[in-house]
Amino acid sequence: MSIIVDRVNVRFGGVSALTDVSIRLDSGRVVSIIGPNGAGKSTLFNAITGLAAVSDGSVRIDDTDVATTPPYRRIACGLARTFQTPRFDPLVTVEEAVLCGFYPVSRAGMLGALVRTPAVAKEERDHLAACNRLLEHFKLDDMRDAVLGEIPMGQVRLVEVARAIANQPRYLLLDEPAAGLAKPEQEMLTTEIRRLAETGVGILLVEHNFALVRQLSDHTVVLDRGAMLIEGRPEKLMQDPRFVEAYLGASHQDHSEEAAR
Amino acid sequence: MKHSFVTRQRPTLVLMAILAIASVFTYGHAFWLDNSIVIAIFALMAISVGLCYGQAGILSMATAGFASVGAFGTAILTTRYGLSPYIGFGFAVVAPMLLAYPIARALTRLSPMPLSMATFLLSGIFEIAVREGGDFTGGYIGLSGIPRLSIADTAQSMHFLAWGLVLLALFLCVNLMHSSHGRAIKTARHDALRATADGVAVPHLLASTFAVSAAIAGVAGWLYAHHLTYMGPDSLTTQVSIQAMLMAVVGGAQTFLGPVVGAALLLLLTLNLPAAETQGMVFGGILVTVLLFTPRGLLGTNWKALMRGRSSGREEPFARPAQPGSGAAISGTSVTDGVGS
Repeated sequence: MSIIVDRVNVRFGGVSALTDVSIRLDSGRVVSIIGPNGAGKSTLFNAITGLAAVSDGSVRIDDTDVATTPPYRRIACGLARTFQTPRFDPLVTVEEAVLCGFYPVSRAGMLGALVRTPAVAKEERDHLAACNRLLEHFKLDDMRDAVLGEIPMGQVRLVEVARAIANQPRYLLLDEPAAGLAKPEQEMLTTEIRRLAETGVGILLVEHNFALVRQLSDHTVVLDRGAMLIEGRPEKLMQDPRFVEAYLGASHQDHSEEAAR
Repeated sequence: MKHSFVTRQRPTLVLMAILAIASVFTYGHAFWLDNSIVIAIFALMAISVGLCYGQAGILSMATAGFASVGAFGTAILTTRYGLSPYIGFGFAVVAPMLLAYPIARALTRLSPMPLSMATFLLSGIFEIAVREGGDFTGGYIGLSGIPRLSIADTAQSMHFLAWGLVLLALFLCVNLMHSSHGRAIKTARHDALRATADGVAVPHLLASTFAVSAAIAGVAGWLYAHHLTYMGPDSLTTQVSIQAMLMAVVGGAQTFLGPVVGAALLLLLTLNLPAAETQGMVFGGILVTVLLFTPRGLLGTNWKALMRGRSSGREEPFARPAQPGSGAAISGTSVTDGVGS
């Protein structure tokens, strides 16, 4: 069971956003993608979820080529993602936002929802119970009735993660989930990502926080200007001068100290 | 408690209570009963707009068009083929849905402005079809002699039937919006891409919502035909669509009771206008006033916050708190956001 990205190319007009990028994400593994801004990390997410058109190469989910599968159906077959800039309606409450994540596992039809059949009512109750567990898990239950526009950005990111894992995906694509999180929240997120990986979820992580990447990932891919620079275990990458130059910059010493913390 | 039946269906229960009182006062008064029935018919069309525009963000000018499909459908079935009005009811529900779904699949890809222009033209096509339909649709003369309903042959019973259908429509809409579909509709209205990432087939969902709203309009048309017993080419025109839109916006298109309140308010106001010609002027004035001061409609506005904001001099009641880097494009009314993409 794996997502296999095979020599994928994405072009925006004349600009090549991704060139021959290949990544393999197995169930239960955490693969990180790092790289400077504009390296194509989010574009890679969009290529996998189908929000960006792949001009060459293939994306296979569980050995099925998804080239003709529309994005919403890829989500329905067990993919989930968050956005680098959380996309949310600031007037929606925390609880409702997380409940939105249950859509792919909802079997209610439009007519059933209109008359609220007993089956639909039961499903709603089940989703609410599952939503409550998620909220407790992420320590968000105090602010369940707060609207997203009024809570700190770190909490919004946690809500986004909760929303993404609500439908119990088999693959989870997290785009900078830890940005703006305080230390305890970051630790909570780390634990959660580990726990998810242990239950067999394959996790693709875009993250700028190299300490977090080192802590979590089994495999790390460095993207630079749309192409793969190097890949390997995070500890190995630290030794590689190409990585240091592209990502950490010239003053390697400072960054490696920071990353080691 | 928050998810109990009473909390969820509060709008329906409130309307039921108001109706109980209104029914006592209008009892036996032919004039008020007639007005009450007309208000109920317009309330249904306004609820249709509320679902389509307020919830799903589709600005449709074809509400009266779908109502006329229902009205002419039942008129033709009952007068030409001698069928029961209740078969006509089935037609008035199903036919607008079957028309609306494919149209919406084609149209909801458009951005908000071209979309409403397209529904405007669609409404025009319905009108032309009625005029040029010859004997079949009654052409310019119209169809008269549409039978009254056996279950509601007096104004009093028609009052109860019409408002019963309004309550039913409201009940169904509330249920829908409190389901996974309803949450998906709200997400899609605000940000279609976000809804896609939730696993929602956005074009299908919006088209289905449009179809349900068309069915509600069709029921309004059915009531209209059997209440007035006459359908002509000038009965349910684009003018009526615009009125229904205005009612929903004035009352609060994103609230459940708003469209009903808007319908009652504007129709009661019409009664007291000196001449029919002044209607456009007054309605236009009301629309401008509402959009300037309470863009979310009478019921959609947080009046307490508005009053407090006035006295303290600042604090915009509808301003959403800006988050650094939230990036979401939010416009004042936001109802049309994200439909096109």
